[in-house]
Amino acid sequence: MPKVCWGFRGSIARWRDSQALALSNQYVLQNQEAIPYEIGRPPPSVDRASPPAISIRGLTKRYGTLTALKDLNLDIAQGESFGFLGLNGAGKTTAIRLLLDLLRPSSGKAFIFGYDCWSEGLEARARIGYLPGELGLYLDLTGLETLDFLAGLNRQPVDKRHRQELCDRLELSQRDLRRRLRQYSTGMKRKLGIIQAFQANPPLLILDEPTEGLDPLMQESFYTLLADVKRSGATIFMSSHVLTEVERVCDRIALLRKGEMVLLTTVRESRRLAPRRVRVLFSEDVSAHPELPPGHQLTEKTPRLWRLAIAGPLGPLLALLEGLPVQDMEIEEARLEDVVLRYYREGAV
Amino acid sequence: MRSAFLLFRLSLKRVRMLLCVTGLLLAGFQTLRVHIAASHSANDYDQIAALLPPSVRTILGPSVTSVLSFNGIVCGGYFDLGIVIALVVLTITLATLPAVEIETGFADLILARPLRRHWLITRTIALVLFAILLMLFMIMAGTWAGMAMFAPPDASGPPARQTASLALDLGMLLLCWGGVAMAFGAACRPGVARPAASLIAFSALLLDYAQKLWPALECVGWLSPFRYFTPFELVMGDPLPVENLLVLGAITLTGFTLAYFIISHRDISR
Repeated sequence: MPKVCWGFRGSIARWRDSQALALSNQYVLQNQEAIPYEIGRPPPSVDRASPPAISIRGLTKRYGTLTALKDLNLDIAQGESFGFLGLNGAGKTTAIRLLLDLLRPSSGKAFIFGYDCWSEGLEARARIGYLPGELGLYLDLTGLETLDFLAGLNRQPVDKRHRQELCDRLELSQRDLRRRLRQYSTGMKRKLGIIQAFQANPPLLILDEPTEGLDPLMQESFYTLLADVKRSGATIFMSSHVLTEVERVCDRIALLRKGEMVLLTTVRESRRLAPRRVRVLFSEDVSAHPELPPGHQLTEKTPRLWRLAIAGPLGPLLALLEGLPVQDMEIEEARLEDVVLRYYREGAV
Repeated sequence: MRSAFLLFRLSLKRVRMLLCVTGLLLAGFQTLRVHIAASHSANDYDQIAALLPPSVRTILGPSVTSVLSFNGIVCGGYFDLGIVIALVVLTITLATLPAVEIETGFADLILARPLRRHWLITRTIALVLFAILLMLFMIMAGTWAGMAMFAPPDASGPPARQTASLALDLGMLLLCWGGVAMAFGAACRPGVARPAASLIAFSALLLDYAQKLWPALECVGWLSPFRYFTPFELVMGDPLPVENLLVLGAITLTGFTLAYFIISHRDISR
């Protein structure tokens, strides 16, 4: 006779089951070397006894013969900021909409703070602040009416001072809020979208392309806001194709390609995965053909200049250069962009 | 429940102008009807009846003398073709609100919060009901105002029972189209749902008229909900047929049930 669990206890039990399932399953990713992160490892500040903010198990979404999302497995710890990367149509928004129960999965499960996103969707969504990629707003309403209405749908009352603070930080004045949305610019609508997602102070923020349409100054304000929210303990799950943004905001990233997760790593680790670009300038002509150690690639060679792409430690290169007339050496920091491009290029081959 | 009320209030706020303008036009038109009815004598009605083309006589049937009387003209606000079409269009517009919310993406913002999907439909049913009751009230108010201002001293106006029957008959017909449109609105984009529901309503109206003129079509005439809308008989003083109400009610309930089922199972995406 199976044990029946109800309510929150049931959720925790199901979450534990899903954890066990995750441990028994290996994440099978393309490019196997790219799983440096210990799966399910929470950041140091997170309470290990509590369930992950987001737990996804084998989530798949098919539209007829098209698979928009394929067997996604993911755990995002409480307090973590997580970036979901991928080109347009990679499946980022599909995954987000599945978490919000806007789409129904073809198979798989997802949990928000241990609550099943479908059978306990109300509990799950009560803990989410959501910013859609494309904001659907009624243009005949004012900004304030929109915010009030959406605030009213939350379980907890919205602290008006907190909302005012958000408006101040994003430079949306009371006068702006009293205007009808048809008079708003794209950037103003985006700001309103951010405020409606943040105003209830939710423990989990799901942001779909959050800075789309914001000017650089506002983007800066938004990043500061995100940093503050993160410091307060909230979990951030954001999709983006702006790599510098993800690099700046997120602890970990997942890369989606054609509905499949092809990379799951920390931002720091991702830099290690990326080849560093090294430029070596010689004071005299060097004609020798170097025997490069593994992971080293000579991208350009002239008598006085070498350009190399180096994955891994720089020690072997320094050993190689010993005895050569090195005048100068420049080492560029590895960029997330290089990792992402590499995965996409490899996928395209 | 509070969220559902907020949703209803917002929807009502957004359509308030449409409802107010339509309601006032209906009331004004009804007042004008009473004025027109009061300005004719019984002899005039007989002359008008004699001028009617045979096809109109066939459609009106034995109720022609009842319809062409002071009482019949006053009651005409409940079955005037223009008014019925306008109200069906209004009902279809309101009933397809979920489709609009999904299409614009506003449903994403609503449903990303702790609110069950079925509230989109329950709210719409409440909105359609409210709109229908308001329109019927405005027709009654227009009748009352017209009677108070223009009715001849000896005219008593339509009895309350007859008015209630006509209002119930029209209300059920509108609710029926609300159910049909809601099922479409839950399943399709507004660009499809509204024209599809309107086209079906228009075809059903044509079918109803066609089967009255051409008895051979009676075998398919039962498919039209308008067949179960019988205001001429009510004007003649017949009681409201319960079976007609049951048919209209069944179509309404089927539409609502389908809408609930579809919205709870479909993907919310544009």
